[in-house]
Amino acid sequence: MDIVVAVKQVPDTSEVVDVVEIDGSGKDIERGTLVSRINEWDEYALEEALQWKQKLGGTVTAVTVGPGEWDDTLRRALAMGADRAIRVDEDATVIDCSAAARTLAALIGRLPHDLVMFGAQSEDFGSAQLGPMVAEMLGIPHAALVVRLQVEEGEAHVERELEGGARDLYTLRLPALLTIQTGINRPRYVSFSSVRKAREKELSVMSLDELGLPPQALTPAVELARLELAPAGKGAVLISGAAEEAAARLATILREAGVI
Amino acid sequence: MAEILVVAEHRDGKPADVSLEMLSTGRRLADQAGCGLLAVVVTSDVSAFAPRLARWADSVLAVKTGKPEHSLAEPYQKALASVIRERKPNLVLLGHSSFAMDLAPALAVDVGAPLATDCTNIAMENGAITVTRSIYNGKVNALYSFAPCETVILTGRPGVFPVEEGRGKGIVEEIDLPVHEEAEYKRFEGCSEPEASEVDITKADVLVAVGRGVKEKGNLQLAEDLARALGGVLACSRPVVDYGWLPSGHQVGLSGKTVRPRLYLALGISGAFQHMVGLRGSKMIVAINKDEKAPIFTDADYGIVGDVLEIVPVLTKHILEPRR
Repeated sequence: MDIVVAVKQVPDTSEVVDVVEIDGSGKDIERGTLVSRINEWDEYALEEALQWKQKLGGTVTAVTVGPGEWDDTLRRALAMGADRAIRVDEDATVIDCSAAARTLAALIGRLPHDLVMFGAQSEDFGSAQLGPMVAEMLGIPHAALVVRLQVEEGEAHVERELEGGARDLYTLRLPALLTIQTGINRPRYVSFSSVRKAREKELSVMSLDELGLPPQALTPAVELARLELAPAGKGAVLISGAAEEAAARLATILREAGVI
Repeated sequence: MAEILVVAEHRDGKPADVSLEMLSTGRRLADQAGCGLLAVVVTSDVSAFAPRLARWADSVLAVKTGKPEHSLAEPYQKALASVIRERKPNLVLLGHSSFAMDLAPALAVDVGAPLATDCTNIAMENGAITVTRSIYNGKVNALYSFAPCETVILTGRPGVFPVEEGRGKGIVEEIDLPVHEEAEYKRFEGCSEPEASEVDITKADVLVAVGRGVKEKGNLQLAEDLARALGGVLACSRPVVDYGWLPSGHQVGLSGKTVRPRLYLALGISGAFQHMVGLRGSKMIVAINKDEKAPIFTDADYGIVGDVLEIVPVLTKHILEPRR
């Protein structure tokens, strides 16, 4: 069972310390102060791939299209247990989904792949497009938002998440591509020693040219015009003060509003 | 031929809410641009859907593929690709649903059209389409345009585009488009409904909802104590279920439950739209979060910027023993 997992690196913009500002170009955010890490969905996809490798044998290859800094995320994938990693050296922040999909399809098409896994979406842009696009380009069946997987005898049995907690069940003939939803497993803890061992694993870098793609393959069809900080909405009435004081005022407000 | 095409999604005999939102949006854009609106529905029971869709659309195309309609994206993809190739609409609209996340990217590759997903605003001026997408945890809006092309495909974020009841009476047309799939390529095996839960959060008057910001499972006790003091029930956002801290029956949002309590008290929840869609009917929303830029403070009525773990026990105390 040869499994290819596509991963990407994202800036962490979820926490209070991560102040998001637009940079001078108006088309990107200031990345200087932000911590980068593996996209959360991709971590679940990697874990799922590694668990199936443990059960069925074979290989797990982590792939990405991105700049040199993204080797950090590939190293993490190797530390989690991937056998090797390949990065196509292009700045993924300036290409659109279809260009990234074209690049990844060209790469994955050259690798042995019984199963291809993508995170269902990315934390930064959240387009949820790449996986099914790559499947269509490779001409293999796909299922998006997979929350349960069983692999046996050349087939993948999957449960796809729908709205309201319902699920659809499918059987796909391998090779197939799945996009993985969070919660499908518990991604493993990465120990210091596995990080050290991962330094000896193979991490290769490829160019578009080596994949037989012309530079025009990256011309975006969806063009980013500009970024703007999200405007504040009507907004909550903020209760200030230390914990004791703020909590007391909130209790009074709840009582006066008659909600308790 | 200038035309806007809306893909109407349906399940259990009803059109999806987000499809009605897209039909309303399509109608508005078509009226502005002076072009026609075509709704496409893949169904075996034309009489059930088409008349309703025809209130918005100038024409409804009911496609009969001979396959169970809601079960596989592939028959939809084949039917839609063939309609798009023939009619060359300027714009194709779908809701950003689980169904569309499976279908739209493959369809875009199939017909060679650019795709922008999860749009929060869609504008059309002199035939040029621009969209807004919410990125980086809702902190940034990105505006996109498209390279010149025949057809643009967009999916719209659920709950963002208003529904205006359609008043037209379009024509309904049925076509047979049998789909011959390669055998055994992908089979639909059935559906499963959500597991029954011990507590029914949709019936509770007060919900104390926890998110990632409570840090670890052990801290749930603080929220539980507060819920008990308020006579309420514990709810949560998705990560809390993903981490195995609470069963899925407690989850509020797109892939969980829709609730409308008197009080929704959100602890350490950032307010991603997938969560907020599920609680819009709440009478009062109160948020406690240490990130003052968290989107939850946009929708909440009251907020405290601070550490949940520090504030919650004090709040519980003040609920139990009012100051005199």
